[in-house]
Amino acid sequence: MSSVLNKDYDVIIIGGGITGAGTARDCALRGLRVLLVEKSDFTNGATGRNHGLLHSGARYAVTDPESASECIKENMILRRIARHCVEESDGLFITLPEDDIHYQATFVEACGKAGIKASVISPEEARRIEPSVNPDLVGAVRVPDASIDPFHLTTANILDARRHGADILTYHEVTGLTVRNGRIEGVQLRDNHTGEDSEAHCRLVINAAGIWGHGIVGMAGIKLNMFPAKGTLLVFGHRVNNMVINRCRKPADADILVPDDTVCVVGTTSDRVPYETIDDLKVTQEEVDLLIKEGEKLAPSLATTRILRAYAGVRPLVAADNDPSGRSISRGIICLDHEKRDGLAGLITITGGKMMTYRLMAEQATDLACRKLGVDAKCRTAVLPLPGTEGKSGDRPRHVYSTAHNAAEGRQGNRVQEVSETSEEDRSLVCECEEVSVGEVKYAIEELHVHDLLNLRRRTRVGMGTCQGELCACRAAGVMCRTGMEADKALADLRSFINERWKGMRPVAWGSTLDEAQLTAVIYQGLLGLAAGKG
Amino acid sequence: MKYDIIIIGGGLSGLTAGITLAQAGRRVCIVSAGQSSLHFHSGSFDLLGYDVEGKPVTRPLEAIGQLGAEHPYAKIGFERIARLADEAETLLNEAGVKVKGDSKKNHYRFSPLGRRIPAWLTTEGYAVCEEADTLSWKRVEILNVQGFLDFPTEFISAGLKKQGVVCQVKSFTTDELRHARKSPTEMRATNIAKVLADRENLRKVADCINAVSGEADVLLLPAVLGFSDEKSLDELKTMVEKPIAYLPTLPPSVSGVRTAILLKRLFARLGGTLLVGDKANGGVFKDGRLVSVTTDHLPDESLYADQFILASGSFMSHGLESNYQRVFEPVFDLDVDTAGKRAEWTKEDAFDAQPYMEYGVRTDRDFHAIKDGQTVGNLFAVGSVLSGHNPVRLLDGTGVSLLTALQVARTITERR
Repeated sequence: MSSVLNKDYDVIIIGGGITGAGTARDCALRGLRVLLVEKSDFTNGATGRNHGLLHSGARYAVTDPESASECIKENMILRRIARHCVEESDGLFITLPEDDIHYQATFVEACGKAGIKASVISPEEARRIEPSVNPDLVGAVRVPDASIDPFHLTTANILDARRHGADILTYHEVTGLTVRNGRIEGVQLRDNHTGEDSEAHCRLVINAAGIWGHGIVGMAGIKLNMFPAKGTLLVFGHRVNNMVINRCRKPADADILVPDDTVCVVGTTSDRVPYETIDDLKVTQEEVDLLIKEGEKLAPSLATTRILRAYAGVRPLVAADNDPSGRSISRGIICLDHEKRDGLAGLITITGGKMMTYRLMAEQATDLACRKLGVDAKCRTAVLPLPGTEGKSGDRPRHVYSTAHNAAEGRQGNRVQEVSETSEEDRSLVCECEEVSVGEVKYAIEELHVHDLLNLRRRTRVGMGTCQGELCACRAAGVMCRTGMEADKALADLRSFINERWKGMRPVAWGSTLDEAQLTAVIYQGLLGLAAGKG
Repeated sequence: MKYDIIIIGGGLSGLTAGITLAQAGRRVCIVSAGQSSLHFHSGSFDLLGYDVEGKPVTRPLEAIGQLGAEHPYAKIGFERIARLADEAETLLNEAGVKVKGDSKKNHYRFSPLGRRIPAWLTTEGYAVCEEADTLSWKRVEILNVQGFLDFPTEFISAGLKKQGVVCQVKSFTTDELRHARKSPTEMRATNIAKVLADRENLRKVADCINAVSGEADVLLLPAVLGFSDEKSLDELKTMVEKPIAYLPTLPPSVSGVRTAILLKRLFARLGGTLLVGDKANGGVFKDGRLVSVTTDHLPDESLYADQFILASGSFMSHGLESNYQRVFEPVFDLDVDTAGKRAEWTKEDAFDAQPYMEYGVRTDRDFHAIKDGQTVGNLFAVGSVLSGHNPVRLLDGTGVSLLTALQVARTITERR
């Protein structure tokens, strides 16, 4: 049994997505003794599989005013506390000839009510400020949308939680809830790397497991009306747009194009899927076809832009308790006190909501937790900047000026000062597409809970660029070895990383994506001899 | 402009065909778009590394008999393979690509991960062993250039240790190497090779190696020497006190670049014309024959020839292309062997045999290309653009390139 688990925790948070990470930070800042457990890696669920869009709320202004005003408030907060994760691009809501132009007035009015600055601009002006936009547009509204990196946002929350005393365990799955006298007293855990079982004690469990939260409360015999809604997205190999482009109409499929770092992302589809499929989502050809068709309407140059990969996530939607059919699904934040709802003390579920309203979700869950625990402490997460944004960017030693340093700063924020740049080896580039140095890889391995190449990709963007890991995956595996991983394990990891990348490339494997796939196969299987099963 | 033969593609198969035809006294023009798959070369050439079940092949000439009828070797005729293999070896050595091996029996090369992989011919000086599971070394030192990430020493040493070899990893650098890597993107095998092309720089590297190396039967070094000829590979051997052997690195491959340079040099010596950096973009067909081709850089001029050879490579070399709906051959829109539906092109596991790997230009038994169902009498296809084999699974890519090129060159020279 691991030593951390001998502690008595106030709160155990289940789930290493942005909601769990944000809740861990909030709880820790309020002085609670916190353990966060995640069965896989951080951001493995919906957090890492969305647009990376910092909604202005405009999208929901007409249909869901409450969500819209939540969004705009959180939007403004995140720009302050997570500046290093946000790119302030602004967004357009465009009306195409096939759309009803009258909707624009309704839209602008609703934005105004929700407190979202929405200015109507002429199609000419829209084409000038965003040259990639469909030139046929007949109307445009400018709103404060932006892009946000959910991976780095989660990392920053985790780091701050840890700094304020939280313990964090990834690859630890909850296998059971310890219930005594109608009250939860802890969780049973399995280490998914070693298979070892253990137990941890606490006064309160916060279920922040997203769609998997359904199973967590199920362990206590509680039923939650959750409906997995799959959303598929496509990543393009270039950043064709600098502003978020949306359609000015009622929310529909594939009507948002977001510039993220060096790429852009179009999505999403929305389909209810069976609960059994959530751990192995497959992207279908129909979804890809739809995304391309609709994406080209936002920015016609997507037709000739290489598609890097396709991916899908599951939104944790919850139906009202009195509606077993699931027709009245809420997209708002759901914070459940299971003591009140089900008579089981010591359990809270926080779900619904959106990636970008995580902070508010965390605040609501932590407020409830504090009330339950009799702790009187105010939420400070709306004002305290996250690690990476807090403080000042350090003085850069002149001799290491490089674009790689800037790239690292873009990912790690002010924490880039902790990345070693002194030795030549540390300045060598592991990943050239994303300019990730050996120093940054080592920093991630030491500080950011990196156990494998997949973890590393999410912390540093290694293998996320145009080549999808062609050489950098092998180089990164080498660095992992040098920092203590066994060679056999690193090779097995390299194989699964190649397969994970292929999973995303396969639904879009034509044109240069197919060319790239062949090149990767020639290098890894032909030249390196990394075939499946071969020792 | 009029040639006897125009070859589209300046990679291994195009150059091999070009050299053979030029040696036979023909006026040959090669149109070469640029980078070839030689840039991903291991330093070894393969005839057949694995059989259809994925087992390592010991005797390639015998194992070839088991291949299907659509395999390019079957089209050549199994009985001709041994002779063509000898010719290929002779041609490589004539060009200055000094290789050793035996088509009757595979040896094993090392991969950059330290794995043993069956091979037919390997560049002299590169580490090889006769069997997959025996090593003659007891004590080995792996020496790497400091900060060179494309030579993953950890994996090589782990592999050797498993075989009971005592293995140590060391690194070295010199001011020149340090300088060459001022920009962090420049630490590539070919860049290091350019620095080490200078004899003085090489001398300093040898001094470093002599200073750091300890007790060892052999010193294993990354193959980052010999950019345009093999001299420095040999020179370093004489300068270093202990025996050394080279191991391939991650791409770009110095041995592959060198092979391309040496083949081009021989082709030029024989009077061949090489249009570098140009791309064939179409042709004029008449009465079942290709009359002329046009290129990107010579838009107002057609290139005429009696015979044409398409040696433009597979998808990664853009000899084959695909879009949303179909796989096609982009220069002439030749008939292609492929599956209809996109979903059938690939398999879910990246390490499964991927169907698209076998896609390519359809030919008759003499490698005549087929367009709209009709054989084109004077247009041949050779090398990776051909359908009918999976070079990643069978490890037969370089063999197919060399042998189909030689076979077609022979067909052409015997024709008149």
